[in-house]
Amino acid sequence: MKKPDVKIVLLGDVNVGKTSLLHRYMERRFQDTVSTVGGAFYLKQWRSYNISIWDTAGREQFHGLGSMYCRGAAAVILTYDVNHLQSLVELEDRFLGLTDTASTNCLFAIVGNKVDLTEEGAAEDQEKEEGCSREAGSSCASAKVSKQVKLEDAVALYKKILKYKMLEEKDMPAAEKMCFETSAKTGYNVDHLFETLFDMVVPMILQKRAEGPPQTVDISNYKQPKQTKSGCCA
Amino acid sequence: MMNIKAFQLVSAIERELLMGDKDRINIECVECCGKNLYVGTNDCFVYHFLLEEKTLPTGTATFTATKQLHRHLGFKKPVNELRAASALNRLLVLCDNSITLVNMMNLEPIPTGARIKGAVTFALNENPVSGDPFCVEVCIISVKRRTIQMFMVYEDRVQIVKEVSTPEQPFAVAVDGHFLCLALTTQYIILNYNTGVSQDLFPYCSEEKRPIVKRIGRQEFLLAGPGGLGMFATVAGISQRAPVHWSENVIGAAICFPYVIALDDEFITVHSMLDQQQKQTLPFKEGHILQDFEGRVIVATSKGVYILVPLPLEKQIQDLLASHRVEEALVLAKGARRNIPKDKFQVMYRRILQQAGFIQFAQLQFLEAKELFRSGQLDVRELISLYPFLLPTSSSFTRSHPPLHEYADLNQLTQGDQEKMAQCKRFLMSYLNEVRSTEVANGYKEDIDTALLKLYAEADHDSLLDLLVTENFCLLTDSAVWLEKYKKYFALGLLYHYNNQDAAALQLWVNIVNGDIHDSTRSDLYEYVVDFLTYCLDQELVWKYADWVLQKSEEVGVQVFTKRPLDEQQKNSFNPDDVINCLKKYPKALVKYLEYLVIDRRLQKEEYHTHLALLYLEEVLQQRPSTNDKCAEVTGMQAKLRNLLQKSDLYRVHFLIDKIQGTGLHMESAILHGKLEEHEKALHILVHELKDLSAAEDYCLWSSEGRDGPYRQRLFHTLLAIYLSAGASDCELVVAAVDLLNHHATEFDASQVLQLLPDTWSVQLLCPFLTGVMRHSIHTKRMTQVAVGLAKSENLIYSYDKMKLKGSSIRLSDKKLCQMCQNPFCEPVFVRYPNGRLVHTHCAASRHTNPNSSSPGNRT
Ligand SMILES: Nc1nc2c(ncn2[C@@H]2O[C@H](COP(=O)(O)OP(=O)(O)OP(=O)(O)O)[C@@H](O)[C@H]2O)c(=O)[nH]1
Ligand SMILES: [Mg+2]
Repeated sequence: MKKPDVKIVLLGDVNVGKTSLLHRYMERRFQDTVSTVGGAFYLKQWRSYNISIWDTAGREQFHGLGSMYCRGAAAVILTYDVNHLQSLVELEDRFLGLTDTASTNCLFAIVGNKVDLTEEGAAEDQEKEEGCSREAGSSCASAKVSKQVKLEDAVALYKKILKYKMLEEKDMPAAEKMCFETSAKTGYNVDHLFETLFDMVVPMILQKRAEGPPQTVDISNYKQPKQTKSGCCA
Repeated sequence: MMNIKAFQLVSAIERELLMGDKDRINIECVECCGKNLYVGTNDCFVYHFLLEEKTLPTGTATFTATKQLHRHLGFKKPVNELRAASALNRLLVLCDNSITLVNMMNLEPIPTGARIKGAVTFALNENPVSGDPFCVEVCIISVKRRTIQMFMVYEDRVQIVKEVSTPEQPFAVAVDGHFLCLALTTQYIILNYNTGVSQDLFPYCSEEKRPIVKRIGRQEFLLAGPGGLGMFATVAGISQRAPVHWSENVIGAAICFPYVIALDDEFITVHSMLDQQQKQTLPFKEGHILQDFEGRVIVATSKGVYILVPLPLEKQIQDLLASHRVEEALVLAKGARRNIPKDKFQVMYRRILQQAGFIQFAQLQFLEAKELFRSGQLDVRELISLYPFLLPTSSSFTRSHPPLHEYADLNQLTQGDQEKMAQCKRFLMSYLNEVRSTEVANGYKEDIDTALLKLYAEADHDSLLDLLVTENFCLLTDSAVWLEKYKKYFALGLLYHYNNQDAAALQLWVNIVNGDIHDSTRSDLYEYVVDFLTYCLDQELVWKYADWVLQKSEEVGVQVFTKRPLDEQQKNSFNPDDVINCLKKYPKALVKYLEYLVIDRRLQKEEYHTHLALLYLEEVLQQRPSTNDKCAEVTGMQAKLRNLLQKSDLYRVHFLIDKIQGTGLHMESAILHGKLEEHEKALHILVHELKDLSAAEDYCLWSSEGRDGPYRQRLFHTLLAIYLSAGASDCELVVAAVDLLNHHATEFDASQVLQLLPDTWSVQLLCPFLTGVMRHSIHTKRMTQVAVGLAKSENLIYSYDKMKLKGSSIRLSDKKLCQMCQNPFCEPVFVRYPNGRLVHTHCAASRHTNPNSSSPGNRT
């Protein structure tokens, strides 16, 4: 088994399309999925690096596993469904806390999936049936709805996350760069999402290598940042 | 989910052996250490069995357990847990919250009575930190609340080393080094008992459902998670493998690489750690113990003990391959790497890759197949042998046994589907082409190239020719038959040529050109043959086909003699006379050949030059039958003739003059006379016969090329004399004479000319001549004066130098040494260089260079 150099974790509510996104990227197709049980992971060879990408389960039952999956992650992809406002709210309420175990310089990406179901998304998607023109949009309202979550909402969440993590905006990638709208169904923006992140984590791999591999894991390392943080907040 | 048979469940201890017909006796725990199998019961007995494994001829394993003894421990409590410490020859028995040590063989309690009290459950550290081989590290969950204790257990004593308290009540524990993996009331944690630092893993409600904490390898644990998950976690608190999905009511888990085995109240399930898939389900009711002991997996109900015997990995892999589950087979094979000795593994793995390759191949998944063949280092002949008739008849190849696939040949594999067959052939073509130059081909290049040739020939593929004109190992007899079968006669010729059978090759090609056999590979085959002969080292062959090529085309055919590579000329060139003799029947070819000898090779042999001139002449005469046809332009042939006559000095002039007599070829005869230095005659012909005055003027110029001034002057004077001798009546010549003088004033000696000219001529008429002559004469005078002046001044400079050098005297003494030989001067004779150095005269003579400068010295 190849040892991964770095870890990226997908988080997000049930049904937002985490598995579909990963599947689209890795297998180049969109396929019926079943709600993920526990978690699954893929190993992606990116240039000379092995990147492990963890797909987690959104179901409440498995919520407790999230912290462990996020431990030491170099990047976390927070996924929501653009047609489902609650899924964005959940990211902040339920999932953000799980990322406390991620590595201290962890990157965050916020991804609104299923844009193909929205009017804008439909316009971007050439493969869609011709019959449903923009004008006739209202008659097709059952299929194409106007987006519930705007990109600005995601950007706002991103900034909130930086605040929560007590990170300076100027030290982190710009919100506009880290908020994506995708469609696992059509493939829209999916490669862009993953490859942008891969490019960003490569320097982290190099840095990690330069520091040398932590052969014996000193778990006190993981506790300390937490303590300083709480101390600082108090 | 498709299943594989990874394990077989066999009985180890029949219930009669344990309890006979006593129904209330239950098995509480088991321990297995090598051949020793221990069972603890609810009525406080420990049984010791010896386990004997046998493999039946059918390949199935059976176990027989023979009871050694059993002993009551003296309590009224069940035996909760048993652990063997073989290095100490001790069995650790947990009963009634205390761990006692008994002798492994006779089950006698040790005399010291050493024990650990107050233990709810315990675990051995399989990755001990002490390094003492006669000590085991035991971790217990204490009866004291929220307390863990670490002990060192020796042969006859125990020693507590650490006590740590946990944030919540622990329910299960496993140990690896300093790390404890604990199931607490609400979560799993990793606790470093040395530093006290802990690490949360994930929440789990141990009171609701029995937790599982199982060490599965260095620094890694398997835990029961929410929703029936089997979670993997390392001591660092991360998960390196995706979870496996068990049922909700899982009771126990064990590892038998690469499988995770789980037990619930109805089934034993087997998952692969490599792809997390469930691989096998075995119905097993009322099981309550599942444990692995150094690779041996034991399950037990309360009444019987069973062993899960793993089927050999190889068998499992073969089963997967048999059902065409290539991906899983490869994952399993790769996963087995660390369990099998390296050499054995490589052999096995290669074979699996090859088999997998054939499975992909049969499904026409050529890309995948190719990769598998490549990585499996397949003997290509295995693949070639699938295709009927491709392997050479002489090949010694036999397919490997057991076979790598189930197919007799391609026909069977494609079931006669022509399209599929063609695809397979295309694949083999590209595959062989790729591997033929790699090390894969070593040892059977003949087989590969011959097969490739056959495929190309059959498919009418362009690369057939490339194959044959570059280095190849095609076997002659086999290949020839195929090329003939597919009428690839040109290629067959190439094959013959490659095998040094040029005669056969040429015969084939000539037959094709003659239309005796048909092969349209090359439309320019005749030119190809000519080219081939041109470079052919075998003179006999060239002679054999010389007539044939010349009959086809004299001009092209003659190239076999004229275009031969030069380096070859020296060692193995044709005798020109033989060639000329042969070319007699082919006049055009003969001309070309003589031109080649005379012009290209510059052979200085009179015969060739004369012969060529004669042939030119004949040709010219043939082209212009009417003599004296003045207006005819100079033909190409005539130009060649003139050129030869002018440039060459070797031909027999008189012979040619005879030939040319009366043909009206004035120019040519003028040239010939010129060759004899009969310039007057030549000029006469030009002026009076040819009546081409500019030609006459040109004659003076080119005839004197490379000669001295007076020679040229003589020619011009001769011409002038001819012009003037005609008298004033021929006014054309008079004008010509004037023009000649005026245009070439400097070519004449003015004083002689003036005496020749008729008095009647006006100065006006000759003005350009006279001024030209005057200017020339004055110019010459002045130039001469300048030269005289310069010479004088140079002389003066040298005189000055000489005076200076002579001005001072030189003393010669014993101390002065010759600068060259470093010896003293014995005679009063010396040479002095301008820089003042003195040397012997003989030294100076032997080296005419200044001793210290490279310029030649001036002696004084
Ligand atoms: N139209 C559309 N449907 C999508 C898209 N992505 C996912 N889906 C559908 O949404 C459903 C849920 O997708 P999953 O990928 O299983 O969602 P998930 O986030 O992995 O869910 P959990 O594993 O339960 O956390 C499936 O029916 C998908 O077909 C998308 O981009 N467009
Ligand atoms: Mg999922």
